[in-house]
Amino acid sequence: MTARITTVIPTALVLLAVAGCGSNVTLDPPTIPAPLINSIPLHVAVRIPAEFESYVHQEEVVLGGEEWSIDLGRSNAIFFTELFSYMFDEVTVLKPEDDESQYEFDALIEPGIDAMEFSVPNQTNTESFAVWIRYRVKVFDPEGRMIGNWPFSSYGKSLTTTMGGSEALQRAAVLAMRDAAALMIIRFKPQEFMRALAAGGEVAAQEDASGNDAVQATVVQGANK
Amino acid sequence: MNQVRQHSHGAATGILLLLGCALVLPACVTSRIENSREGLTGIGANESVVIMAKSYHLGNETEEKYIGCIEKELAQGKGGLHVIPHRQFVDSLFPWFEPRTAPSETKGLPKLMERPGVAEQIRDQRVRYIIWLDGDTDKVAGGGSLSCAAGPGGGGCFGFAWWKKDADYNASVWDLDGLESAGSVTADVSGTSFMPALVIPIPLIARTQAAACKGLAKQLRAFIVSEDAA
Repeated sequence: MTARITTVIPTALVLLAVAGCGSNVTLDPPTIPAPLINSIPLHVAVRIPAEFESYVHQEEVVLGGEEWSIDLGRSNAIFFTELFSYMFDEVTVLKPEDDESQYEFDALIEPGIDAMEFSVPNQTNTESFAVWIRYRVKVFDPEGRMIGNWPFSSYGKSLTTTMGGSEALQRAAVLAMRDAAALMIIRFKPQEFMRALAAGGEVAAQEDASGNDAVQATVVQGANK
Repeated sequence: MNQVRQHSHGAATGILLLLGCALVLPACVTSRIENSREGLTGIGANESVVIMAKSYHLGNETEEKYIGCIEKELAQGKGGLHVIPHRQFVDSLFPWFEPRTAPSETKGLPKLMERPGVAEQIRDQRVRYIIWLDGDTDKVAGGGSLSCAAGPGGGGCFGFAWWKKDADYNASVWDLDGLESAGSVTADVSGTSFMPALVIPIPLIARTQAAACKGLAKQLRAFIVSEDAA
């Protein structure tokens, strides 16, 4: 029996050492702090696409054969719904199957994720995890015309902690989402937005004083969705 | 049987020798703490400080653990300062102290104070100073050879390894009363750790980052309460 144990334990240790590490990280929905902004006096509807409701990103890290995946779950949907509720006076959340023509609102907002990437310490030879999320926010007027189409990239970075890489990767993802919220707030110009709604056509996100250009606006003139 | 006993006596003597060395020869740490003052400082009994890391968008990699250590060191003991936890402060001023939006220079402060609710939040929390940390702890050199082996009869290590870490940190102190820089404190700490092994490895760890934390915090406290300004 003792001999069997002495054989099994080293074998298990070797298997553990040889096997690729990695982790499946499921993000607990983060809460967004109440932002210090004046809300925009508009009633907006927020349509959450199905893929935004349950976004899972899986990535195999070539170096070291690690496999990591992040399940953002409903984090983005909850986070952005909260953000819009702070940004606008009134918000109605529509499910993917809801018919927006049955609702009254001043504008319809549809957030989405174009792409997501992350890096782990093995790849960068550092102790940090980094997450990039490329969001896209489309805005429609009540008649269904797209008046804004904004892609923007957010970034979060967190150092490995004693609790392990999963916690650092989660923290980096949360920081990327907070970065997205900060970008939305600093780039969203209420006057421009309301003017575009009134004119039925044109809206553009603008650079802030820092000259940061992570948000690029696509100007759409009365295009149908 | 006698031989075995002699062998274990020899190993035990070696271990005791190494343990003795560990007590006699502590790992080596050298520190240099300096400050540069730009204005008079001082802090009221009800006023607070916040410790923040400069943004990673600017290439900074100050460890969360180091920020926590400075917060703890500044707050504890007789004459400890009132420190607001940095995450609480960042949340209370969302989104204006996020890595992307936080001001990188004092000239950005007047515009920040004009934003809705910002001046009120800072006033309500009685924040007098924001201390921006920049820098990190890195392994800069290492060497030696240490090998370990294990078998059904037992295991052990033999050899000697060493490594050197540098902890370089800079703390910029912003005075929110005058919306200006009060000066900065720097810590440059270098530590070499050793690990001799004769059956059991004996780590002689230089606590470089901890030394940089204690040194910087002590100097920061003196800088803020202005003990050395007179």
